[in-house]
Amino acid sequence: MELSEYVQKGFQMLADPGSFDSNAFTLLLRAAFQSLLDAQADEAVLDHPDLKHIDPVVLKHCYTAAATYILEAGKQRADKSTLSTYLEDCKFDRERIELFCTEYQNNKNSLESLLGSIGRSLPHITDVSWRLEYQIKTNQLHKMYRPAYLVTLNVENTDSRSHPEISFSCNMEQLQDLVGKLKDASKSLERATQL
Amino acid sequence: MLLDLSEEHKEHLAFLPQVDSTVVSEFGRIAVEFLRRGSNPKIYEGAARKLNVSSDTVQHGVEGLTYLLTESSKLMISELDFQDSVFVLGFSEELNKLLLQLYLDNRKEIRTILSELAPDLPSYHSLEWRLDVQLASRSLRQQIKPSVTIKLHLNQNGDHSTEVLQTDPATLLHLVQQLEQALEEMKTNHCRRVVRNIK
Repeated sequence: MELSEYVQKGFQMLADPGSFDSNAFTLLLRAAFQSLLDAQADEAVLDHPDLKHIDPVVLKHCYTAAATYILEAGKQRADKSTLSTYLEDCKFDRERIELFCTEYQNNKNSLESLLGSIGRSLPHITDVSWRLEYQIKTNQLHKMYRPAYLVTLNVENTDSRSHPEISFSCNMEQLQDLVGKLKDASKSLERATQL
Repeated sequence: MLLDLSEEHKEHLAFLPQVDSTVVSEFGRIAVEFLRRGSNPKIYEGAARKLNVSSDTVQHGVEGLTYLLTESSKLMISELDFQDSVFVLGFSEELNKLLLQLYLDNRKEIRTILSELAPDLPSYHSLEWRLDVQLASRSLRQQIKPSVTIKLHLNQNGDHSTEVLQTDPATLLHLVQQLEQALEEMKTNHCRRVVRNIK
């Protein structure tokens, strides 16, 4: 994991009991995790009364360093020993290392989930709806008497957060073809997961 | 159900008894070809010269025949009704038989062509699929994220379009289940009764 001097400096300040007592340390740490993972997090997460005595510039630096490190660790799937090594290098004492690792462990799943959801992908099918109709006549053609399906795929786009729909009609043979192919795909998937 | 032929229409068709039955068959063939591909006025001129009449007369004859065939096909009238409808034109027995044969021979194809005129949604053509596993991304390493990529081929008014989409294994199973239910629906008593009774 490569981290900048800025991050390292921030952590060194965070390690110092003179700048951050136990309480302040815990608060800052929790604030960092919360603002990353909680979508409804308060913007004024650092406005806690127990943090008021700390120089705002220092506070901001340490907070940013912590957030940066947390994201990088999540991205690289860092284990406890990797975390401990880095924090030791930043002169964290045993207690603070333990605290950090515990907090990290508690939030690991949410963190990985969040990071995994970032990124571009193809439009994603979320649902399907169908309609079966019996066609009787059109103004050009009477006495049709044939069944037809209208299928709509609900699709989600990761980028634009838009929800376009793809609709198409098909007759019974075509729907059987479609279903057959999707079943092939899901059987293939089953086999692949058993390897 | 009888066809309702207008006076103008009857006038146009009045040309048919004046020519040979082979010519009428040829007109019939031209009429269907025009339905398939669109009309070609040059054909009228060639025929007019050979028959020694104006090209307008030929055109009306062919158009009259076309309309006769498309209306009959559209309404899917029975043999008997067709014969009765044509009877009012006062043609010979032979010509009536020829017209009936033209109708029966071309009905199916004409109905297919007419069905293409209906309001149209894209229709299913085919589907291709591929299994993928995402191993890493810029924001997260060491992943195992299976997904299915689908290429859906659709047709609309002769145009071919494709949609490339993706889904996860759980949704794929859900799609299969839902669409199988859709297929099952045709086999229910309700649908069977409707199909049986609406004719």
